Amino acid sequence: MQLEIELNGQQRTFEAEKSDVLLDVLRRNGYTGSKRGCDTGACGMCTVQIDGEPAMSCVTPAAKVAGSTVATIEGLGTQSDLHPLQQAFVDNSALQCGFCIPGMIMRSKALLESNPDPTETEVREALADNLCRCTGYKKIVEAVLDAADRMNGEKTVAADGGESRCDELPSSCPCEEGRSK
Amino acid sequence: MSNLEETPGRNDRPDGDRAEEEATEADAFPGESEVAADDRKSRDEREHLTEDVEKDDARKIVTGEARYTADYRDRFPELAEGKVIRSEIAHGYVRNIDTSEAEAMDGVHAVITPWDDVVPDKAYSSSGQSYPEPSPWDLRVLREHVRYVGDPIAAIAATDTETADRAARTIDVEYEELEPVLDPEAATDPDAPQLFDPDEVENKQRGADYERNLESHFEGEQGDVERAFDRMDDDRVIETEWETPYQSHCVPEPHTTIAHMDEDDRYSFITATQVPFHTRRQIAHLFDVPIRDVRVTKPRIGAGFGAKQEMAIEPIAFALHLAADQPVKLEMTRREEFYALRFRHPMQMRMRTAVDEDGTLEAMELYTLSNSGAYGTHGMTVANNVGTKPLPLYPRVPNVRFEGDVVHTNLPMGAAMRGYGAPQGHFAVESHMDEVARRLDFDPIEFRKRNAVREGDIDRNVTILKDGDRFSRKIRSCGLRECIERGKEAIGYDDLEQPAEPHRNRGVGMAMIAQGSGVAGRELGAAQIKMNEDGSFHLQVGGVDTGTGSDTMFSQVAAEVLGCEPTDIVVISSDTDLTPFDYGAYASSTTYISGQAVKEAAEDARERLVHWGSKMLDEPVENLKTGDEQVYSEVTGDGVSLEEIGYEATYGNDDREHILGKGNHSTDESPPPYGAQFVDVTVSEETGEYEINKMVFAADCGVAINPALVEGQIEGGEHMSLEYATSGGLEFDDEGNPEVLGFRQYGMPRTTDHPPMETIIVETHEPTGPFGAKSIAELPTNGVPPALSNAIRDAVGVRVDSLPITADDIKRALDERDD
Repeated sequence: MQLEIELNGQQRTFEAEKSDVLLDVLRRNGYTGSKRGCDTGACGMCTVQIDGEPAMSCVTPAAKVAGSTVATIEGLGTQSDLHPLQQAFVDNSALQCGFCIPGMIMRSKALLESNPDPTETEVREALADNLCRCTGYKKIVEAVLDAADRMNGEKTVAADGGESRCDELPSSCPCEEGRSK
Repeated sequence: MSNLEETPGRNDRPDGDRAEEEATEADAFPGESEVAADDRKSRDEREHLTEDVEKDDARKIVTGEARYTADYRDRFPELAEGKVIRSEIAHGYVRNIDTSEAEAMDGVHAVITPWDDVVPDKAYSSSGQSYPEPSPWDLRVLREHVRYVGDPIAAIAATDTETADRAARTIDVEYEELEPVLDPEAATDPDAPQLFDPDEVENKQRGADYERNLESHFEGEQGDVERAFDRMDDDRVIETEWETPYQSHCVPEPHTTIAHMDEDDRYSFITATQVPFHTRRQIAHLFDVPIRDVRVTKPRIGAGFGAKQEMAIEPIAFALHLAADQPVKLEMTRREEFYALRFRHPMQMRMRTAVDEDGTLEAMELYTLSNSGAYGTHGMTVANNVGTKPLPLYPRVPNVRFEGDVVHTNLPMGAAMRGYGAPQGHFAVESHMDEVARRLDFDPIEFRKRNAVREGDIDRNVTILKDGDRFSRKIRSCGLRECIERGKEAIGYDDLEQPAEPHRNRGVGMAMIAQGSGVAGRELGAAQIKMNEDGSFHLQVGGVDTGTGSDTMFSQVAAEVLGCEPTDIVVISSDTDLTPFDYGAYASSTTYISGQAVKEAAEDARERLVHWGSKMLDEPVENLKTGDEQVYSEVTGDGVSLEEIGYEATYGNDDREHILGKGNHSTDESPPPYGAQFVDVTVSEETGEYEINKMVFAADCGVAINPALVEGQIEGGEHMSLEYATSGGLEFDDEGNPEVLGFRQYGMPRTTDHPPMETIIVETHEPTGPFGAKSIAELPTNGVPPALSNAIRDAVGVRVDSLPITADDIKRALDERDD
């Protein structure tokens, strides 16, 4: 069958078998950022966003997402121009082997879109279905809280006429001024 | 409470001939002469050490571009998917496998069974250990004689996973069933079912007796333990028993490998391994090809924790490849990871000590019975570490005995897992020590400090199972007391507030922790550095980054020597074709062994940099330093940049040279890192339910080269240790069928299960390590079970002696106490 989706902002058509889950289609077509950790929807390493909602792509039938909007890790920033969430994971050393990280970031992105200023408890609850074996989650939770601050900071910049907040932010602030320091 | 003071060193004891003893000791430590020139640097002098340098793969990880084994499928348009057929019975013989229906299916490229020519029939060990492995050769690639539910008996290669799965369901296996034995104590009974005919095993290990299902028996003693126990009053001789379960590594990336023949017909693997060079040797052995014709490449790896210190699936993939004549990817399912791959060994332990009136330990004795499961990979060596890791916390105890049995049962195989016997051993030793202190009315922490290791001690407990004194060690760095003091303060040990409800009680427990830094006398790391003409470098190193960040650590060590930035160094690690040799990422060896090899390679290259600097600046070598990306004279202040040197050395008119450096490191040393784990718990006396309020881990890993990465190791290690203490474990029915087959049944802690954690790094300087570094990777996996058991004892006065600790266990102990 032909599967039409909007993937990371682009209209795409993929070949898919009826038995395929979304993760199969993504990985077969080079979107390998989403990882296969359990194939049963129990570890969160394949998390993507479907129509804005976090979803485990390994248990989502491909046919079910026809016509949907899908966001994967490949649609976020690039290595030289990271999304604030990605930058926060890097700056907080919130990663080790990295296998769970694309799913963690996509799950965190969905959280911050619905709740831009979460408490630590809310971050922990939102990430409870995403397993990580390396970090003890401490730096991951810190990174998400840090990202929320950064993203809220960006908004403040825009709202108050562009005054830089970079003096208050780490040198790795995602804005150009911050990065050049 | 008694007032305890620290005991004097063994050497200071009035009994014994001190002078003679000292002379013997000086001779007995060849490592002493190995101590390199002092490379101690104050904080101000460090350029790239003790720096949170960004992990070199961080950006590609967060963008999803980091490539793990399965992500390489696009390189192989003809790639077939493999599938393993596994034994459904715990013990017996496979008498026939009907593969006809599968072979006739469209899209099935090959089906292999133990009787196929492409399947090697040699005995081997899957353990990623040095040659000859200290593990028995008791495996076959596919098994006719099956010994647990999960033993591989056949395999399929098909165009895709779905076809392979469908084909697998058509395979019909005929078994001749034998009685299984599941209990390690019952297994040694002469009438118990026997797993191995002794002829089925090569390279047998110490004390093996396969007629009693004994893979190994070992023992060692210093002093005279029985005499010490006899001399002591009975009430000062205390014995306790402890039990630990299976634990799954829960590697994020399941075992995955791609086996193919390259364009030169060489046996090639892209594989998720911690041990590329051991795998290369073992593949060469199994398939009877020269080592030069095997290539093992490790891409990014989704962690190992010991599960990948194993050649667990590579031979099956390669046999499939030979049968199908096309590249094969074999990727384990999570279900297979939970019953068919590798685990932490379950153990039963017994600890006995004698303590004098002053609180000095006079004797200690530890016994462990390890359930090795169906095969012997890492069986003896893990069990050895149950004693040789924690007993060195108490090196001045004059009488010490350690004994163990490693027993086969028809259950999944234990293997290497982060901590490697030390988590089991620390649960027994450190819970026991706390219990002893409380029963004898000593403060548990003061009692420990009185007897615990100090800098300058000679540790023979580490070598108690070995003949001779070669691996005894002098403790050259020990920050244990500072770890305890800072941990105490962070957890609020001295001013714990009790909950308002009378039935809820709060307590704090502490466990001291030790590990090693590599396997003493059984390690080799090598590295090579080559300079590019613009002043950057390529570092080729065998050390295997399993996700820990060791590639970044290597670049910091090299940059510190060469005077460049860590980002000026391209790290190429662990490809058997491209990098020097390394034993692999295990035993907490990468910083200490491979890192030292990198330092030596950088020093070798630096010598050439300085030679060229001297020529170009017309300054004597003695005046020259490296730093700020140049070679400069301390006398004149003039400098020449590394880039100028690079171009001159490469393209100069007179003589030319490719600036290279090589480093090789092996040693008999394995200095222990130390730690103190604290757990603060509140327990309900009504229900036994408990809540961990906070955990603190203070670590002495020498000089932390990258503190952020060190913290990551500590927090991740504590996570595994928390699981071991509170929620892990596997279960089986009475026929050996696994009952835990996925994350939903297995209790891996989630974000919401983690208590607040505080991490403290205590700096010491280890003179035998690179820039003073020891190890950190395994140390923090050892502490939560004893610290939690001790905290519960502190809170409600009862002792829990088996893992994981449940509310029911506590309730039962409370009921027994009240009866």
